[in-house]
Amino acid sequence: MLKIDNLHARIGDTEILKGLSLELGAGEVHAIMGPNGSGKSTLASILAGRDDYEVTEGSITFDGVDLLELDATERAVAGIFLAFQYPVEIPGVSNINFLRTALNSIREQREEAPLSGKDFLAKVKACAQLVELDGKLRDRSVNEGFSGGEKKRNEVFQMAMLEPKLAVLDETDSGLDIDALRIVAHGVNSMRGADRSFLVITHYQRLLDHIVPDFVHVLAGGRIVHSGGKELALELEEKGYDWIVDAQPTEQA
Amino acid sequence: MSEVATPTQHAALAARVSDACRSAGMVGAPYPGAVAALDTLGYPTTRQERWRYTRVTRLLDVSPTAAAPHTAPPAVVSGLDALRFTFVAGQFVGGDTLDEGANGCFVGPVSVALARYPERLEAWSHSDFATKEWFAALQAAAPQDGVCILVPAGHKLERPVLAHHHMPAGVHVAQPRHLIHIGDNASAEAVLWSDTTAQSEGMMNAAITAAIGDGAHLSLEVVQDEPGTVHHMGHHHFTQGSNSKLTVRTATACAHWLRNDLHILQDGTHADSTFHGCYLPNGQQFVDHHTRIDHAHPDGQSDELYKGLAADKSTAVFNGKIMVHKDAQRIEAYQRNSNLLLGEQAAMYAKPELEIYADDVRCSHGCTTGQFDKEALFYLRSRGMTETAANNLLVQAFLAEVLDGFRPEIRDYVHSVYARRLGWS
Repeated sequence: MLKIDNLHARIGDTEILKGLSLELGAGEVHAIMGPNGSGKSTLASILAGRDDYEVTEGSITFDGVDLLELDATERAVAGIFLAFQYPVEIPGVSNINFLRTALNSIREQREEAPLSGKDFLAKVKACAQLVELDGKLRDRSVNEGFSGGEKKRNEVFQMAMLEPKLAVLDETDSGLDIDALRIVAHGVNSMRGADRSFLVITHYQRLLDHIVPDFVHVLAGGRIVHSGGKELALELEEKGYDWIVDAQPTEQA
Repeated sequence: MSEVATPTQHAALAARVSDACRSAGMVGAPYPGAVAALDTLGYPTTRQERWRYTRVTRLLDVSPTAAAPHTAPPAVVSGLDALRFTFVAGQFVGGDTLDEGANGCFVGPVSVALARYPERLEAWSHSDFATKEWFAALQAAAPQDGVCILVPAGHKLERPVLAHHHMPAGVHVAQPRHLIHIGDNASAEAVLWSDTTAQSEGMMNAAITAAIGDGAHLSLEVVQDEPGTVHHMGHHHFTQGSNSKLTVRTATACAHWLRNDLHILQDGTHADSTFHGCYLPNGQQFVDHHTRIDHAHPDGQSDELYKGLAADKSTAVFNGKIMVHKDAQRIEAYQRNSNLLLGEQAAMYAKPELEIYADDVRCSHGCTTGQFDKEALFYLRSRGMTETAANNLLVQAFLAEVLDGFRPEIRDYVHSVYARRLGWS
């Protein structure tokens, strides 16, 4: 479903991704771990279509479509969802109005009829329950005054509403206490299915106790340097990244 | 850079405008103080602080053609149940006057009120503006028709009033005069709507003068929706008695070149004033809101909020003065002005002015000018919104604080004008 091939990307003059290749099949959950500054969040941003980055080489295909040709909106319409590491506060826009606009904007671009008010509210109710999101938070301005945990739950709530084919979770565990982590993981797990893939970007192994991945990759120096099964996460937790990163051939000048 | 008009130039403008208004039809006599002031007051220049960003030399070229045809324009916010009055270029063209007699409510054209109840209009119906500001003096020297709302003490006007002033196509001048008098413990709601066609040119020099008695309430919504190239000068003057409550909301939906001067005088204790406004110039448009509140007595409150966006090469000006007089102890005055710049060549001049001569007061003001939050825009787009939908939502959110105070019909209308003008709908 997603194929990233030899991706090079930079921001300004700084090259961040240096030949990243990765393949995700439908229904698979892949975790990406790696030291700070290795390019994890850059990968998430590029997948979602943030235009601060310049892709200088390589390709990304999603369901056979050249993803790099699509803008952020079109990627969402194609079924990509990014759960932000730092969800944005938007004063004056209620969570509900925001989601209705987003959902119907996607449906319109897919040439589907807008959701009826009744169906929409039923869906809101079901999805909010999934992440135990308080009714008050649904009516408040998007993320405004939300705690860190509430913001992340709100991201998963939006994901449940938009039902993406590929969900990219960018350090969704950061800033979560153990209860919030469990709630968020439960939301994600209940959305797992044959047609939906997840790319879970995380710094710590603990999230992967709750969202058990099919594959774990180590991203270092802008490339995937090691891949393995779920047990790799435990090994990384124990040994750190150095044993993998140091084993890499040094770059030619 | 300052520009100064020669005395002959602005005297000629005054003569042209007065002649045009006289031949189209005036209401009442020229205000003597105003006629004198036209001679003694100089024409405003950008050397004066109050006119620093407002170039009025361009108005010197306004040269009205023959009187406008008096065809009634299409109704605005037709879903709103109201006592409706329509004016075209300073002339009354339609509406059913409400006249409950000498001791009752009157709502109708100023021309009719002057004929029937001249004594009810005397003492309060000219503001300071008429002798202190050149354009206000010009208006008062040749006043034309507008709506007159007279609510005697203890009465409540049950239906809102909607006065619609229209500038037809062509080069015209209009100097409508709207008069509102709310007696002690009386109340009323009104909408003053001005619009133009896309082919309208010239000048609209309009005055609103309102006196609000002790314990009285007035809620006023001012909508300015003027495509075309009319120059609009607004002189909005309110005097409040003790324990009175005034709400003025001004939405500049569209304006080629517009200056509003709003002045509220709290002339009694425990008065409460709310004045909010929004504006969104684009292209090369110019919108200037000058406001002033005088807290002249103790224990008053005021809440001022103006928000706007300036796009493309447009210019927006906000100047908000809070004057707290020596005896006005224990007043609370809040002012906030927020602006967004949507274009690299857009300009925003914002100036809060506080003059406080009492020692036991609570005053606060905040003024911000910034740009669209790119991160928010990306967030919305990553959720599937088109750039248009995302922009629209962000503008709606920014202006909601102001627009949500209007009636829903007006709020939705103004938002739709903004969305259309920015090419977002």
